[in-house]
Parts: sequence; C-alpha cells; structure tokens
Amino acid sequence: MTDITDPMPERAIDGASLAAVLAAGIGAFAMGLFVVLHVASLYSAPGLYGPAGGVSGRTTFAVLVWLVAWALLHRRWRTKVPAPEGVGRVIAATVALVVLGLVATFPPLWELL
Amino acid sequence: MEPVSLFSADSIWTMLHGIALGGGTLLALAAALFALTCMGTGFAAAPSDRSAAGGFVSSEADVRRARRLALLLVGIAVLVWFTVIGGTYIVFPSYRIAPPGGATDLSEYPRALLLASGDTAWLHRYAMETKEHVPWIAAILATAAAFVGVRNRPRLLSNGRVRQVVTGLTAAVFVIVAYVSLLGVFVNKVAPLD
Repeated sequence: MTDITDPMPERAIDGASLAAVLAAGIGAFAMGLFVVLHVASLYSAPGLYGPAGGVSGRTTFAVLVWLVAWALLHRRWRTKVPAPEGVGRVIAATVALVVLGLVATFPPLWELL
Repeated sequence: MEPVSLFSADSIWTMLHGIALGGGTLLALAAALFALTCMGTGFAAAPSDRSAAGGFVSSEADVRRARRLALLLVGIAVLVWFTVIGGTYIVFPSYRIAPPGGATDLSEYPRALLLASGDTAWLHRYAMETKEHVPWIAAILATAAAFVGVRNRPRLLSNGRVRQVVTGLTAAVFVIVAYVSLLGVFVNKVAPLD
C-alpha cells in the first residue's frame, strides 16, 4: 500500500472552507436577528406557509442570508490559503456570530426587549 | 368491521421527526465525533514521516477512513435538514392549530393545551419557541461541517486545523440537536400530537 502526501502545509485550511464556516456564522446570526426583530416588533418576516405561521418566513429569510453570504465569501476566498492569524480571526468571528445567534433565540431574553 | 389505526397520521409524523430523524441524527453525530476525536492521524505521524513540501504523509487506509467520515458528515447534514424541514412544515402546523371558540377539551390542540395552564405554559413559551428557530442554526452548521469535510476529505483526519474546525462545528450541532430533542420530549410528553 502506498502512502499519500498531503500537498497542503500542516494545519493549513483553504479559503473556500473558511468561507463556508464564516457564512454559517452569519446564517446563525441572521436567524437570531430575525427573531429579535420580530419580538421587538421592528420587522416581521412574512409567513410563507400559513399553517406554520411566521416561523416559515423568519427561517427562510435567515437561510437566504446564509446562502448569499456563502456565495459571496466563496467567490472571494476560494483561491486563497489564509495565514494562520487570519484563520484564527475567522474562527473567532464565527464563534461570536453563532453565540449571538443562539442567545437571540433564547426566549427569556425577549422579556428584556 | 373497519380496521382501526393504532396511530394517527400526526402521531406517526411526530415519531418520524423525533425518533427516526432526530434520533438518527444524534447517533450519526456521536459516531462522527468519535471518529474526529479518536481517529486523528495527523499528530501521530513521526517527524520523519512528514513530507518536506507539504503536510503529513498518510496511509491509503487513513485516507479511506477520512473519506468515509466525510460521507457520514454529509449524511448528518441531510438528516438534520429533513428533521428541521419536517418539523417546521409538517409537525409544527399540527401543533399550533387553534381550537374552535368555546372548546373545553384541548387535548387535540397541543399549543392551546400548554398555554391554558400556568404550570405548562413554559413548555410552549420556552421549549417550543426555542425549537422553532434553534434547529435551523444546527442545520446550517451541519452543512458547513459537511462542506469542509468533503472539500478536505483526504486530509480530514490528518490535518489538525481541518479536524479542529469540523470537530467544533459537529460538536456544536450535537449539543444543539440534543438540547432541542430533550425539549421536544418534554413537549410531547405533556401535549402529545395524537
């Protein structure tokens, strides 16, 4: 059996992968944002499927934001292999966005709005 | 004599959503997390095994295992999306149907049943409201994990950074799915869809 050499340097990750990761963070944040906007009566995404109510609109809009962000980031980063510091920043930003998105969907928080 | 159905359509969809899809997702996530945390080969390689130009040298068997793991990550993403979409567009509408005016028996109207009592209102206001949105975040994160896994499949177990990112995403999905599954068990226990 032959061994296989990875052409990528150790601990390197390509731009397209990072784009997917950051876009996921943006999608998670968008989900929380649409929920908070709805609870605060600032903006309610229209319900796209009557029996499911407003949640169908909020979730669809958040998914659209995610997909658009992913498409844009992928286009911009797909040929790059970022430096380790850049990778760290992207991961940190993703974690922050996901946490914010999850916190925004936490019902007890809505009482503060 | 007409055959009697043991389970209603709503009940079957709920079981499919919660047990088959949700439960299947949790099993697959556990398997993926085990593989990611226990089968990593990158750091096990001795310095003399490292290629001068690039990363680690892996055996064909390691690369095959990594490819299968990437396939599992895709399967997880598919399961999560089916769970989320089925939950939102099939199970949830049945849950939130409003009872006719003056109805005294709310057993067929889970949402109204939960909100009718101060002891159970939290199951809608907290548990179900959480389940409406949080699983979509899990689906998005699972897709990202699958994408990174597939794109980097030969190095999924040998490249420390790739494995770290995929493990983080998969662990987050596991925690979220386990959490909303538990909330769903609580809701269904008190106000089942029959």
